[in-house]
Amino acid sequence: MKKEKLKRLLHDVNVTIGLLALTAGLTFILLLHVSNNPATATLFFIIGIITIANCTTGYLSGIIASLCGIIVLYSFFTYLSIDYSMPDYPSTFLCMIVLFAITGLAASHMRQQSLTLSSHEKQLLEAEKEKLRANLLRAISHDLRTPLTSILGASASLEGNWDNYQKDECLELIHNIHDDADWLLNMVENLLSVTHIQTKSSKLNMTLEVLDEVVAEAVTRLKKRMPNAEIDVSVPMEILMIPMDPMLIEQVLINLMENALTHSHGDKPIRLVAENQPDYVQFRIIDYGIGLNKEQLDHIFDGTYSDTAHSDVHKGMGIGLSLCHSIITAHQGSISARNHEEGAEFLFTLPKEGAYE
Amino acid sequence: MNKFNVLVIEDEKNICNFISKTLSSQGYQVSCASTGNEALSLASSLCPDILLLDLGLPDMDGMEIIQRFRSWSNRPIIVVSARTLEIDKVRALDAGADDYLTKPFGISELMARIRTSLRHSNPSGFHGNTLPHLYRAKGLEINFFKRTIMIDNQSVHLTPIEYKIVAFLAQNSGKVMTYSAVMNNVWGPYAESDNKILRVNMANIRRKLEKNPAEPTYIFTEVGVGYRMADDEET
Repeated sequence: MKKEKLKRLLHDVNVTIGLLALTAGLTFILLLHVSNNPATATLFFIIGIITIANCTTGYLSGIIASLCGIIVLYSFFTYLSIDYSMPDYPSTFLCMIVLFAITGLAASHMRQQSLTLSSHEKQLLEAEKEKLRANLLRAISHDLRTPLTSILGASASLEGNWDNYQKDECLELIHNIHDDADWLLNMVENLLSVTHIQTKSSKLNMTLEVLDEVVAEAVTRLKKRMPNAEIDVSVPMEILMIPMDPMLIEQVLINLMENALTHSHGDKPIRLVAENQPDYVQFRIIDYGIGLNKEQLDHIFDGTYSDTAHSDVHKGMGIGLSLCHSIITAHQGSISARNHEEGAEFLFTLPKEGAYE
Repeated sequence: MNKFNVLVIEDEKNICNFISKTLSSQGYQVSCASTGNEALSLASSLCPDILLLDLGLPDMDGMEIIQRFRSWSNRPIIVVSARTLEIDKVRALDAGADDYLTKPFGISELMARIRTSLRHSNPSGFHGNTLPHLYRAKGLEINFFKRTIMIDNQSVHLTPIEYKIVAFLAQNSGKVMTYSAVMNNVWGPYAESDNKILRVNMANIRRKLEKNPAEPTYIFTEVGVGYRMADDEET
């Protein structure tokens, strides 16, 4: 802390002296060779002092610079024996002192204000993030209770009534436990992705990844959980290396595919298509089912509409989609949803290397 | 036949319980250790055929167990861990672990990994003692003597580098090979640390071997860690 202060002070002193010397030198040349009008010289110094006050912290350097400026100007005038024997001479200098001091102060003040403003903005951004996280946590914890209740209930019931159950009843309960645990696992994976974003504080863990590998891994991971899933995958023939955080993009692909599989109620296999465009790659997840209705389309990535009374809204689906949205936005890509003739389609893009800033 | 001896090192009682129950029902001899010290003393007295190791133990880091165990034994170690970061997996594999499973895992997957690791470690007459000269899986056949690769009896042409990569993975089929392990084996110890060249080669290999590169059947990617080739089918 102390070191930092010292460093800043040193920087201020250096800037003040350097800029003062520069201004003095320029003024001197001006007075000698161009015109010996004191007004021009004074204006020059005002510019110098504003610059100094802008480049340094605090008010002090502005004031010191203005005092030094007066002394330097005074000595120049004496040296060049410019006629200042006019009677109002002292008042002119007094005015100049005040003018210098005011400009210096004003400039410092402006700088200070812009600093406070930017720190406020940062705080606002932080608060926004905090809000997002809180919302997410609340929604998720709420959603976690349902499967946990079912797991606890089913297992307790199995333990207590072991002798009374038929074998197939037991199996059914066990199957339910398995399903709910599986759902919980998916939720936890999503949560992990969220923390991944949070800990890296908006900086993603970007690496160059081969497109096919990420797609393949996402499909494999999903199929491990949903062995009956039918997915028709196609990737471009070219080998594409795309900068991304592979873990997060996999999560996006899994969320979108799972979404399509569980909510579309289609009987044809869903399609995952990656297309090579000049500046970006586009991923399309297409299903052949009931499609999305109008209200859903408007709020689908907000993570909010799961509160409204839609009968087919799967628990936690909104969270998965809003997470997809934040991940893709963090990658500077875009994500959207739309209906086509036979169902719904989710699209997202990722910029290629070079296009990414 | 003698039962294989498995040492499960896991501090979570429930998980230890379900692993040992399943393993016993599959005909393995199971012992459990819940701390690192207990694990090390059990390992040296029992000389287990295979170690299942959880990296997060109360008294010491799992990495230390890998290193200590490796100093006197080359029996397979399968790491079972809740750590999802790639770097942890890579570190464990490079320290001498044979394979890893991320929690949560399915029991069938665990069994398959154990069988694979045991087969590769080749304890007394599992496979004979000659080096296998054929790799066969799902219609893919690699002949290590003739250096040929066939898919459904159709010969596939690979560049020498591509062949080296595939052959290395096939010889270690069923196990995860880290990027650095493949790089060292194919390009030598002074290979660049950047694995981009390997990944581009792999993408090319996939285009030659796989019917659909996005749904691989032979070579799987463990993102951020390395590659795993489909397990050799026993003949």
